[in-house]
Amino acid sequence: MTKAGDDRPIMDHEYDGIKEYDNPMPRWWLLLFLVTILLVPVYYFAPGDIGHGAKKEAMYQKEMAAFKAAHPDAGGGTVTPEQMAAIVADKAEVEKGKALFAVNCVSCHRADGGGLIGPNLTDDYWIHGGTPVEIHTTIDQGVLAKGMPNWGKILKPDQINSLTAYVVSLHGSNPANPKAPDGVLVAATPAAAASAPAAAPAKTP
Amino acid sequence: MNARLDSFSYDDAIVRKFLFATIIFGLVGMLVGLIIAVQLAYPAANFGPIFAFGRLRPLHTNAVVFAFAGNAWFCGAYYATQRLLKTRMWSDKLSNFHFWGWQAIIVAAAITLPLGYTQAKEYAELEWPIDVAILIVWVAFAVNYFVTLTKRRERHIYVAIWFFIASIITVAVLHIFNNLAIPVGPLKSYSIYAGVQDAFMQWWYGHNAVAFFLTTPFLGLMYYFLPKAADRPVFSYKLSILHFWSLVFLYIWAGPHHLHYTALPDWASTLGMVFSVMLIAPSWGGMINGLLTLRGAWHKVVEEPVLKFFVLAVTAYGMSTFEGPVLSIKTVNGLAHYTDWIIAHVHTGALGWNGFLTFGMIYWLAPRLFQAPLFSKKLAETHFWVSTFGILLYVASIYSAGITQGLMWRAFDETGRLQFPDFIETTMRLMPMYWVRVAGGTLYLAGTVIFIYNIVMTWKRRPAAYDVPVVTAAPLDLSTPEPHAPAGTGVYARFVGLGWHRRWEGMPLFFSVMVLVAVAVASLFEIIPTFLIKSNVPTIASVKPYTPLELAGRDLYIREGCFNCHSQMIRPFRFETERYGDYSKPGESVYDHPFLWGSRRIGPDLAREGGKYPALWHVRHMENPRSISPKSIMPSYPFLLTNRTDFDGIQKRVDAMAMLGVPYGDAINHANQMARDQAALVAADIEKNGGPAGLADKEITALVAYLERLGTDIRQPAATAAAPAATAAATTPAPLKAGGN
Repeated sequence: MTKAGDDRPIMDHEYDGIKEYDNPMPRWWLLLFLVTILLVPVYYFAPGDIGHGAKKEAMYQKEMAAFKAAHPDAGGGTVTPEQMAAIVADKAEVEKGKALFAVNCVSCHRADGGGLIGPNLTDDYWIHGGTPVEIHTTIDQGVLAKGMPNWGKILKPDQINSLTAYVVSLHGSNPANPKAPDGVLVAATPAAAASAPAAAPAKTP
Repeated sequence: MNARLDSFSYDDAIVRKFLFATIIFGLVGMLVGLIIAVQLAYPAANFGPIFAFGRLRPLHTNAVVFAFAGNAWFCGAYYATQRLLKTRMWSDKLSNFHFWGWQAIIVAAAITLPLGYTQAKEYAELEWPIDVAILIVWVAFAVNYFVTLTKRRERHIYVAIWFFIASIITVAVLHIFNNLAIPVGPLKSYSIYAGVQDAFMQWWYGHNAVAFFLTTPFLGLMYYFLPKAADRPVFSYKLSILHFWSLVFLYIWAGPHHLHYTALPDWASTLGMVFSVMLIAPSWGGMINGLLTLRGAWHKVVEEPVLKFFVLAVTAYGMSTFEGPVLSIKTVNGLAHYTDWIIAHVHTGALGWNGFLTFGMIYWLAPRLFQAPLFSKKLAETHFWVSTFGILLYVASIYSAGITQGLMWRAFDETGRLQFPDFIETTMRLMPMYWVRVAGGTLYLAGTVIFIYNIVMTWKRRPAAYDVPVVTAAPLDLSTPEPHAPAGTGVYARFVGLGWHRRWEGMPLFFSVMVLVAVAVASLFEIIPTFLIKSNVPTIASVKPYTPLELAGRDLYIREGCFNCHSQMIRPFRFETERYGDYSKPGESVYDHPFLWGSRRIGPDLAREGGKYPALWHVRHMENPRSISPKSIMPSYPFLLTNRTDFDGIQKRVDAMAMLGVPYGDAINHANQMARDQAALVAADIEKNGGPAGLADKEITALVAYLERLGTDIRQPAATAAAPAATAAATTPAPLKAGGN
């Protein structure tokens, strides 16, 4: 850096008392400028994924492919009626599901499951099937056209299981002021229907 | 040398006027800033339509940028320019027109923005009549300024004047081209650009508003007031020249760094990034020239609050102009964009650089303008430390908030799912930091109150009548040759000898034209390809114009300032597509006059909001967001359920869109009826699902129709939405179906 002693005022430069020195530009500053200019071609022609050549959409496809390779079984969990029956019968699962329901579901299905924006979950009517496996599928994959999110992308598989157990446990709880029935009447209780999944109109989106 | 001397005096009355406007609007702008900071931490502080975050946020930014910083620039520029040119401003009438016109514009902004009149473009929110007024006042300012340049008694123009010239010219160019719009009513217009092009123009403007309203004018102020206060010569004339021209030329290119990973084409994004990185040195040139001017005067900094303010201002400038280029690197931006990191960045610049430079300047000016000693140097010291501590609290908390939220948005758990799928969880984590920001903002504002008290007390000590000193100077004599002959003989030697630049400094109008050329060339290099290359925006056949009702709903979205908190632009990252759906394509916003991509996600992205929730969900959520999401910080909009939709005004809006080339087809003739028909369907769906009855003619229905449309076109097969008339039915399946499962 230029030392103070090097300062040479420029003779005819004086504006309202302000003078200017003829100091050279600091060398490190010029070097910094040069480096940032040289970075332009470096960035433009850089090979691999670090430069301009890494187009954002191609990078996204790469990221998705890498994820699929690392998680080949990603996607909704599959469950058998037998597995679901065991989960639904487990009191601990119901309790875990209750906590998850309070966080994720009450804004549309109401705290007591009586229905608000989404349907009543306590009556005998089901739009997408009332067996534990069907309820599991509805939660896991959602009904996007109707505003039911695909929770399988958000919650973990065991959380979907717990939620299913809790929803099944709500049946027949008869909350006050429930939403009007919607869907198809399923005569048997969901627990009983679990043994005969084909009985309900299995319509999943 | 001419023996005759002119006698004249400087117009300091205009400087005093701008000084008072600066401190009054500084107080207002910072107060509104504090209010909106509280609103983010405590949503109950949103009141009604007028005092809600979405309408007050633009008021805050406009007030601090154009009212506080703007008046500060004019205050300093009128003082410095007259003295640097040894002449009075050419026309006192034009100076006063500039002053009163500018204040009237600020008042108009302060009224219209809270009332919901906005163009929805950041820092260019003001509607078209106010934009016209700005242009007229600006032309008056420019004419006065340039004629004054020709009336100068100093042969060469000093570097401060270069920066003022560049600012005046470029702000005019930016203002005109970003605000081109078709008026729909006395206070409503649609941008002539749409989607990608509109986004490009907006950030070409937005970034350079920062450059040419908050940076170059303040460098001009620094170059006058800092050497004056330190009583030291400027460190390097050569550095001034190189950093001035490189700054002016390079800045213009940098705008697209505000749009990394959006639907803007990759080439524009790359240009924005590399030019931003090249800006480090030109920006630091200003910082170096400022700080090194203080060599041999550091002992004065200890004693003199004015210099303390200048040192912190210049240091803050250096920090934020290093950070800006870092943020413009695509990968860094991938983390920082949409978060509070950007808010922290701009506040380093605004509170530190613009605020402190203004404070230092006014502490230096006040005793000279009011012809009385400063009321209290001690209070000025207190102001310095209180406000500095305020900046530290503000910036530290908001940096933390930005990086925290950015990292939470992109976190995956071991199963590959989003670790924080619920957006509100990422918001809640920021609340303590938002409160610390409130504390920091309070301190900064407290410092400003101390400052204003000090200045007002100084003003009270003024003499009964101001002394107007008579200045004498020799008239401009251009008959003698330039004192600096070009050094050396070779082209290179002539170039680095800078004799050519010295001659330019003696030709201010030529100098101004060269600035305009630099700015225009740099702009056109980016603007022309953005508009002409077809592959920038591949068309998507299924993307259709909004129905008349959705268009009305979109205008409500704009009126309430929803875009201040919600983006509509999903970037191609897995953590975004998992959360929001497929990334946004350029072809999806071709009918968006103006674009509404947003720049900040205080709430989640809405680009694919359509069909995510039933109409009734939106009704309840708008009425009171906390009934759906208990921790939501969104303001409530219950008035949308009672306000009537202006169906009769819809036809005009559709016609204006059609004039801009939006293929409305049949809707041109009966937009009003189409809107009523669609509103009846949406309202029936809401009622059928247990929602309130009678919403068909209420604003909420239009807004819900718009929200349910967002991002859905791309899912439609092109054939089903062939005619725009059929669009209403074809593209709004969600509200027509049962709202449950």
